Amino acid sequence: MSRLPVPREDSFGSRLRSAAVAARVGLWLGVCFTICFATGLLSHYAQNVDHPIPFPTSPSWGYRLTQGLHVTTGTAAVPLLLVKLWAVYPKLFARPPRGLRRLAVEGLERASIAVLVATAIFQLASGLLNSAQWYPWAFSFRATHYALAWVAIGALVVHVAVKLPVIRAALGADVDDTALDRPSATRVGAVSRRGLLRTTWLAAGVAVLATAGSSVPLLRRVSVLGVRSGDGPGGVPVNKSARAAGVTASATSASYVLEVVVAGTTHRWSRDDLLALPQRTETLPIACVEGWSAEGTWTGVRLRDLLDLAGAPAGADVEVTSLQESGPFRVTRLQANFADDDRTLLALGLAGEPLSLDHGYPARVIAPNRPGVLQTKWVRRLEVLA
Amino acid sequence: MRWLLGALGALLGVYGGWLLLSRQDADRLLDAATWLVAGVVVHDLVLAPLWLLVVAVAGQLLPRPLQAPALVVGVVVGAVTLLAVPVLGRFGARADNPTLLDRDYALGWLAFVAVTVGVVAAAAVVRSRQSSKQSSRQPSRQPSRQQSGRRPGGPGPGGR
Repeated sequence: MSRLPVPREDSFGSRLRSAAVAARVGLWLGVCFTICFATGLLSHYAQNVDHPIPFPTSPSWGYRLTQGLHVTTGTAAVPLLLVKLWAVYPKLFARPPRGLRRLAVEGLERASIAVLVATAIFQLASGLLNSAQWYPWAFSFRATHYALAWVAIGALVVHVAVKLPVIRAALGADVDDTALDRPSATRVGAVSRRGLLRTTWLAAGVAVLATAGSSVPLLRRVSVLGVRSGDGPGGVPVNKSARAAGVTASATSASYVLEVVVAGTTHRWSRDDLLALPQRTETLPIACVEGWSAEGTWTGVRLRDLLDLAGAPAGADVEVTSLQESGPFRVTRLQANFADDDRTLLALGLAGEPLSLDHGYPARVIAPNRPGVLQTKWVRRLEVLA
Repeated sequence: MRWLLGALGALLGVYGGWLLLSRQDADRLLDAATWLVAGVVVHDLVLAPLWLLVVAVAGQLLPRPLQAPALVVGVVVGAVTLLAVPVLGRFGARADNPTLLDRDYALGWLAFVAVTVGVVAAAAVVRSRQSSKQSSRQPSRQPSRQQSGRRPGGPGPGGR
């Protein structure tokens, strides 16, 4: 039986596979990962129940921007990561050094790279699949994506620390400088290093243009590979339908009443009662954690008005319960600063029409600057927490 | 300074590892571990060799002037196609939600490929015309571009 031909580090002759290319692509990959990490932390915090530092309610489009950036930079990172890995691929086949000490040091470095590559691929792949609502796995997406973000950024910081002298030398020299090249990397290819870098930036730019229309309305027609066209009832797409949430019967039931619980006393309003209260209209975006967003013109009762009618004091958190029977966001917390914000509505209509069933009929929460999963639909109960 | 940075990175990573291990049960963790390893295996042992093969075959089949434009098209189309796999396959589509994955992705992909090929081809034609004009004026300039191989401090764009 013949053995598989395993290449050696010097089997790769292209001079494009160089520190000069790796450092330049790596720099932008690092920028993308840092933006992804920062915006991801923000999104995770916004979804937490407790906010030791209140999450701001303004600007209303803040979360739309940060989460759009999160998904966009993650998308741009895919071509960057592919080219980066291509540039350093020969290192995978490098012979281990002699001597126990050097072997241990290189072993540690290689382990850190293995962690970095594994988590980088995992974060980009799981994020992309999540944005297309494809879940072919059993792990919890939110918990795993969040935990591995810390591992990825940690491994990236270690990698930068290890490679700092090489990065400095490569970025400080001309892209065609050969001082840092592997001895075997001399073959001139179809394109120059500059050509490869330009191609990489082009691929990242095209990847963004082809997908970002789900959050940037101007790009809708260009983004032929976007997860959503942006169409939907009232001009707003739907994340989870009433049927998927199992609320079709309870949401359309004639016996529906909204319960507002304040200090042990329950106040009840039917949808007609709510419609008889003063109606307000607010233009607020709905921005999903999956990256898509859309602006809607919502009409309904100002939540603070409703809380005043029920005798609830300002400055208290509100627990919002949906008609949904299950699901991680069946019960959500509307923190005091959101509950008291004048723009926060218990929405009954969208774009001048009654709320559609898929948008949360009979009533839903819409507040400024919040992740979409917290804009609870099919609201059954509001409990003011002491 | 570098040691400090390295220590900070290790600390961040350990925190992430603790978060990962402390918030899910063993079955789910095993699944996450499988996906972590699978990503590396698919890239290193499938995608990377496949790309090597494609480049080798294209290098044999395509005439020299077409190789650079073909590489640009290959990188852009390859990378974008890979990240479009979830929408092209419409794996997350649901009968109850017509607002999700609501485009004709096959047609969109064909349009994207056609535009990429068109733009790169046009750029290549413009470039070759410019360089043929330039080389007819300055015949000695062109070849030096090819020589930046292993000659630190040598002439041409390779030197600093």
